[in-house]
Amino acid sequence: MLFFRSEELAREWCSETGHPLRPLVRMDQLWGLARDWYSTRLQPDSRRPQPGEMREIFARLGLTGEFWDPQSDAFGGRPSGPTIS
Amino acid sequence: MDFDLKTKLAIYQHFATTGSRPSVEEVAARVSAGVPQVREAFARLRAQRVLVLESDGESIRMAPPFSGVPTQHRVIAAGVTYFANCAWDALGIPAALRRPATVHSRCEQSLEPLDLAVTEQGPGVSEWLFHCVVPAAQWWDDIVFT
Repeated sequence: MLFFRSEELAREWCSETGHPLRPLVRMDQLWGLARDWYSTRLQPDSRRPQPGEMREIFARLGLTGEFWDPQSDAFGGRPSGPTIS
Repeated sequence: MDFDLKTKLAIYQHFATTGSRPSVEEVAARVSAGVPQVREAFARLRAQRVLVLESDGESIRMAPPFSGVPTQHRVIAAGVTYFANCAWDALGIPAALRRPATVHSRCEQSLEPLDLAVTEQGPGVSEWLFHCVVPAAQWWDDIVFT
């Protein structure tokens, strides 16, 4: 999960590393993900979103399709390549 | 309070206060329990995907959004430096702390530095983008890779 300065640079990186280009996420959408995932993380009643909640969060932020479906079986095995975290 | 919850809160409180991971001994002292008991709680929290542990079974690699090891995603808030596991978690740290912060990272292709101010309402307008190679259904197949 990485930052890119532009779509063109993300495309270049994917091409050079052999990774598929996935849906690009705007910074305002990323903040929505960060807030919905983590804003209660330091509280006693915090818990990770469950699949149904994940779908709702993604949909609310305009992130739809198989890529964002936590229970999709549309993709094969994990992409191979260098560690990117 | 449930012991695992108490352990989890002690871990997160340590990260939030210091920016670094606590040792199993530090958590044990904080929850007034023995090290073996805390080690067992760490394992249960790992099974619940609350923590990611190193191969020694007790060093915390991730307590999302916090990273237990240095990464390219650095966050500074109230004078404390934190490391995030990924770009998403870099914004997750100010969200979790509910505190203004500056995110320092980079464009993975051009290596241009990113210095992003984040308030409690989020970042300002920015044209930078986020990209994830791994589909949501596979994130936890190898969360370090993801």
